[in-house]
Amino acid sequence: MLLSWIRVDLLALLVCLLCNVIPIAAVKHENFKRCDQSGFCRRNRAIADEATSNEDSWASPYTLDPATINVQNGVLKGIVSKSLGEGYGPVSFPLTITFLESGVVRVSIDEEKRQKGDIELRHGSVARKERYNEASKWAIVGALNNDRRASPSMAAEATTIIYGPDNSYKAVIKHFPFAIDFWRANEIHVKFNGKGFLNMEHWRPKIEKPAKEAIEAKEDQQPIENTDAGEDESTWWEESFGGNTDSKPKGPESVGLDITFPGYEHVFGIPQHAGPLSLKQTRGGSGNFDEPYRLYNSDVFEYEMDSPMTLYGAIPLMQAHRKDSTVGVFWLNAAETWIDIVKTKVRTNPLSLGTGRKIDTQTHWFSEAGLLDVFVFLGPTPRDIVHAYSDLTGYTQLPPHFAIAYHQCRWNYVSDDDVREVDRKFDKHNIPYDIIWLDLEYTNERKYFQWDPHTFPDPLGMQTQLDAHARKLVVLIDPHIKNTHDYSVVDDLKSKSLAVRNKDNDIYEGWCWPGSAHWIDCFSPDAQKWWTSLFQYKTFQGTAPNLFIWNDMNEPSVFNGPETTMPKDNIHYGNWEHRDLHNINGLTFVNATYNALLQRDPKVPKRPFVLTRSFFSGSQRMGAMWTGDNQASWPHLAASIPMVLANNIAGFPFSGADVGGFFGNPEKDLLTRWYQAGIFYPFFRAHAHIDTRRREPYLAGEPYTKIITSAIRLRYQLLPTWYTAFHQASVDGSPILRPHYYVYPGDEAAFHIDDQFFIGSTGLLAKPVVSEGANSVDIYLPAGKTFYDYFDYTVYRGVGKSIPFSAPLEKIPLLMQGGHIFPRKERPRKSSGLMKWDPYTLVVVLGDENEMHAEGELYIDDGETFDYGEGAFIHRKFTYAPSISSNAPMGILRSQSLTPPSKESKKAKAYLQSMEHVRIEKIVVINAPSQWDGRASVRILEDGQRERNAGLRYWKAEGGKTAWAVVRNPNVGIGKGWKIEF
Amino acid sequence: MRPFDHLLLLSTTLCSVVGTEAPRPRGVGPEFSKFYKATDSFKCISNPSVVLDIAQLNDDFCDCPDGSDEPGTSACSYLSDLSPTTPSDVSINDSVKTLALPGFYCKNKGHQPSYLPFLSVNDGVCDYDLCCDGSDEWAKVGGISCENRCKELGKEWRKNEETRQKTLGAAQKKRKELVADAARRRKEVEDRIQSLKTQIEGAEIKVKDAQATMLDVERQERGKVIKGPSKASKTGVLAGLAKERIEELRTSLADVRSQRDSAKSRLVELEKILSTFKEEYNPNFNDEGVKRAVRSWEEFAAREKPWEGDDAHDRDLDEISKPDSESGAINWDEWEKPEEDTDVDVRECTADSLHLSHKLTFSVYKIEEYLPGPVRDWVDKRLRDLRLLLIDNGILAPTRDSSDSESKAVTDARSSLQAAEDGLNDNKKELTRHEDDLKKDYGLDDVFRALKGQCVSKDSGEYTYELCWMEQTKQKPKKRGGDTGMGNFVRFDTIAVDDEVPADGKGLGSGQRVVLRYENGQHCWNGPNRSTLVVLACAESDEIWKITEEEKCVYRMEVGTPAVCSSSTAGNPASNQVKDEL
Repeated sequence: MLLSWIRVDLLALLVCLLCNVIPIAAVKHENFKRCDQSGFCRRNRAIADEATSNEDSWASPYTLDPATINVQNGVLKGIVSKSLGEGYGPVSFPLTITFLESGVVRVSIDEEKRQKGDIELRHGSVARKERYNEASKWAIVGALNNDRRASPSMAAEATTIIYGPDNSYKAVIKHFPFAIDFWRANEIHVKFNGKGFLNMEHWRPKIEKPAKEAIEAKEDQQPIENTDAGEDESTWWEESFGGNTDSKPKGPESVGLDITFPGYEHVFGIPQHAGPLSLKQTRGGSGNFDEPYRLYNSDVFEYEMDSPMTLYGAIPLMQAHRKDSTVGVFWLNAAETWIDIVKTKVRTNPLSLGTGRKIDTQTHWFSEAGLLDVFVFLGPTPRDIVHAYSDLTGYTQLPPHFAIAYHQCRWNYVSDDDVREVDRKFDKHNIPYDIIWLDLEYTNERKYFQWDPHTFPDPLGMQTQLDAHARKLVVLIDPHIKNTHDYSVVDDLKSKSLAVRNKDNDIYEGWCWPGSAHWIDCFSPDAQKWWTSLFQYKTFQGTAPNLFIWNDMNEPSVFNGPETTMPKDNIHYGNWEHRDLHNINGLTFVNATYNALLQRDPKVPKRPFVLTRSFFSGSQRMGAMWTGDNQASWPHLAASIPMVLANNIAGFPFSGADVGGFFGNPEKDLLTRWYQAGIFYPFFRAHAHIDTRRREPYLAGEPYTKIITSAIRLRYQLLPTWYTAFHQASVDGSPILRPHYYVYPGDEAAFHIDDQFFIGSTGLLAKPVVSEGANSVDIYLPAGKTFYDYFDYTVYRGVGKSIPFSAPLEKIPLLMQGGHIFPRKERPRKSSGLMKWDPYTLVVVLGDENEMHAEGELYIDDGETFDYGEGAFIHRKFTYAPSISSNAPMGILRSQSLTPPSKESKKAKAYLQSMEHVRIEKIVVINAPSQWDGRASVRILEDGQRERNAGLRYWKAEGGKTAWAVVRNPNVGIGKGWKIEF
Repeated sequence: MRPFDHLLLLSTTLCSVVGTEAPRPRGVGPEFSKFYKATDSFKCISNPSVVLDIAQLNDDFCDCPDGSDEPGTSACSYLSDLSPTTPSDVSINDSVKTLALPGFYCKNKGHQPSYLPFLSVNDGVCDYDLCCDGSDEWAKVGGISCENRCKELGKEWRKNEETRQKTLGAAQKKRKELVADAARRRKEVEDRIQSLKTQIEGAEIKVKDAQATMLDVERQERGKVIKGPSKASKTGVLAGLAKERIEELRTSLADVRSQRDSAKSRLVELEKILSTFKEEYNPNFNDEGVKRAVRSWEEFAAREKPWEGDDAHDRDLDEISKPDSESGAINWDEWEKPEEDTDVDVRECTADSLHLSHKLTFSVYKIEEYLPGPVRDWVDKRLRDLRLLLIDNGILAPTRDSSDSESKAVTDARSSLQAAEDGLNDNKKELTRHEDDLKKDYGLDDVFRALKGQCVSKDSGEYTYELCWMEQTKQKPKKRGGDTGMGNFVRFDTIAVDDEVPADGKGLGSGQRVVLRYENGQHCWNGPNRSTLVVLACAESDEIWKITEEEKCVYRMEVGTPAVCSSSTAGNPASNQVKDEL
């Protein structure tokens, strides 16, 4: 334990040193707020500081009046009141604690006065008076059924509620001060307000002080303890930053809470940040950050590595992890949010059974506005958290099949001829690709929905050429609409009042790609409807069904706005202030685009594909995200992996980073390594800035082009495996890339590892090379597990340590774990669409003698429609079991359906029929038992077929490489039940 | 894939013969039929030790390490060094994963047979480009059915081919004309060289004569001692004027310097603003105005800075700016004072440091005054001779070479010498130019001599691109802004190309192509000097087909021209037709 701590620290130190050495273009810090430049951040941190420095005397001023408590049907309601000291009446905050069937608890706190609209807004603002209560409308789609069995027991000091699976959970709701402890298996796992940082900034009228007093107040910066009059009001009524002033018509309204995870040393999650997966402390100290993690979706130019700075998207889900236990919280708030993390070593509780020291992780969450609305997950595994969270916020879209293949993007392919040429070059070099992308410059003077007539005179001809090889086109559509005459889209936007308004309730005008622009307000149902109309083939002329959409700049990015985004006092549909819903803004835009694409082909709806840069909890339902504008540098390549992993454990696995790095020109070895890593991003796209040199894989020259091609072909070969992992994510939210702690939650030594990962549940373990000139990597292998090199079957036995793995430039560190079966397709084609009818190969990876069982899955459907919803899919489970008796076969491999047959519909049958001739052409058995040596055939029993034999070949183990065998052309149907006896 | 080109050609010629042979397995080309004759077993072509049951032939499972057992399926398409490596599960030894066959053989009856890459067999797409008979999709995967289109495609192809042949004929004819034109131009140059040589001979004689005349006249003149009128007052006036003028110049120099200095400091300030601007602007916002400004600034900054390290010059200016009294450069008093009685030579001798001659001349002239006329004339002549002697021997400086003191005779002689010399030099220069021109590479058959200086242009996007043969390439914006030089012609070269030719024949095709390299164009922001690679292929007329920016500021033009048409050189449209992307 101690050792691992030291290692983590050293690692952090090393990372820090590297950061200093490598000259990279730097983020413009002055464009983004630090905590001390954000009023509510400063105010909430001040409370934390005060509470911490007066730990013994500090008392949280919040009380839950037991008389107001009412528990019914799994819901506890009550009033929390905040005392403001002598001379002031208490402020009421209605509390709702909901116990859900899933074992999740939701704690919501509103404010009575604002709820009732019993407040006055300043500056004649038209903004709504309530705290924003619609975040769940956008983020939550299910699993809200109450656990009616949750039973309360009341006492004077606390109300206790037993709930959860087998009534094994317990919430102890303390009345004074108000606090909640969440128990599982006789231990507290999550504590609310244990530190007393709870803060609900109540509404108050602005009292204009005489000038003299104001001066005095200024001089006396120290807030007087717990008295309203003495608080620092400087950021209550108005805040300026970077030349922009926020008028704050509702005054201070932030919400804050401390959430402690006793005994938990690691916390993961809260994407998006460029830093390690295991979150760092944020209150300074060696190797720590001194700023809290921030969630305020922003277009951060040249973002820096290893930083708690905010980025483009926000998922306020955090998991706390310790050996064999994971718990989590989901802070459902769409306003600007900061999270402080402090880990404290606590003296061993004399009452607890554990020995030695213990680490508590204290987190402190605060948002500028909105409800306090938190979900608590008690695990006990990472899988449980992600699944329960995904049940609430929705699962990853099952994307159209092409979307998981290779995307070729550049800012910009400059003409339709250019696109056709790139398309031909890929074929000429035998490099598969599925999608080519057009950035901004395809538009007619940056007017979306219009092609540049000079450079794209024949968009349909271009799409026809792409379609000939089942390829697709993705074009950029952003939320800013050019403010110009003679553009019907902006005319409509204005005349129908569908744009975001400014604080004076007039149409908001800002600056983005087209210069002066207005922003569509996708919170408005009318705007969504209108948006849909713009994507019809007859309105967006020059588009074919193989065209899909990229939504960029949807934080929203506003070049001349505060922190490159919209003023917080802008007004959206329903008169909500922008500050209330900022982090959801990007989601609503993608939502509108997703629905618009659905409506293009109303008769046979096709699955949309939309890429977004900004995201929030729930965005996973609508498409893919990427990590924004990264740089062609080794640190950015390295950072992409923990960033993508963070998204994967936060319910949004369809994620990737720009391969090659957006800014700058990658050296060829960097480009090559990036492709070798990029083939493992769930969203695999190469992209480049307009000022960079062309870098399509065929331009790299040898040996790079060959190495890159073979990497891309590896992605294509494994597409059946990827699609199966996507399917799983689409039904339960499972990560597609899984960090070590997720797969081995009990393997303490490796909780911090975030540079290697497993692909779905296939046992494939990859560790991309992300450092310059490296010829090897160290791969951590869990003790007692056996792995084989994917390419040459060399055996690696895990001992719970990192072992060196040779990886010259042409080598991708990829291992297969014993005990798994995964499918692939070995024939290279021009695109994934053209692989549809190709036969499968099954790879059966057997472990050591004591783990000779193996299993795996395959999911297939038509890859483009929603017919899978009517049972039109094939979902098979493959199992291999060794012989149990001497006269039985030495091993049996089976294919069984995971589809309940009752679900079969007309479409299901038609689909199965269409797949009738798709078969398995090869079965490769890694670590085949030596008894197989000399056997020439296996027996095949397939449903509806006569028993037959197929050839078997066996290769002996030699030189560190394990034995293997191949079943030659078993010819069993991929959708059929069958059994092969070895 | 190139090694198979000859096979393709071979297959074309064998086409009629194979019609009578026994049916070959699916996908086998006639030249490989000999490997597929046995009816009971099959030996892998490159690994004959691997013997397969005949049932394993085309059974859609790859058994041979060279893929030769699957000529009619895609089963072996993964055998490629572009595929992820895997323990060779079909080989006995360390066989190289190289396919023995060029591809899937499409018979294409009614058109030309060809090979389709195995990875396109049964992929659900009719590859009519290479397989007009649709035989590549024999398995009808996903229900696809590819009709035989060889009849129409063949007909179309033959029609196009006929046009192409006609075009080729015309193009070759044009080239002949160009070559003839070039030869004519060459002849003109050669003739000109001849006449120049003659002219030069004549001119050289003229120069010699003029030189002799000049020498003689000069010699006569040099000896003359002019006893000019007293110039004392005039010199004084001149000196006064000169002093005034110099003062004036000095003052304005000081003014200009101070203006320069303030301009300089403003420039420094502006440069600082601009370089900060360049550092801090956000290129991701891609504001065209901002980017254009940054680009211009970069280009500006890349140019040499004329004022840097100019201290020496400034010191000179300091020195010059000092009043003459301080610098001691000119003692005006000396000049403004009325002169003593003396003739022009005195001044000359004073300025000279030859004390001997000074004294001599001075004393001689003094004596002269006391002599009677005829004697004086005699003395005068003697003295002149003596003077010439002294001058000729370098003891005395010659008469000052100022026009006001030069006689008309000398001026005339000088100018006729100058004229003669100029004429000679011009002739020589022209000769060198023509001789160099003859040595210069104008391509095969000197053909580009006929095109030199002619330009072709093409609109592409927001620019018009211009190619001037043997001179330069340019990018001209349609909207606003000046032309951008994309390179100046440097040399000929050849490169290998491998492109498909569109139906209109406007494409490079495959093989070696003549290229013109244009380099050292305008410097590129954040990049190199612009350059253009002009790749040529045969066409009936000069035409830019395509312009691409392959890398930042590295352009490529694909250009058709009859200049490269020839049955013997690359660029023959007929060779473009070979379907060789296998």
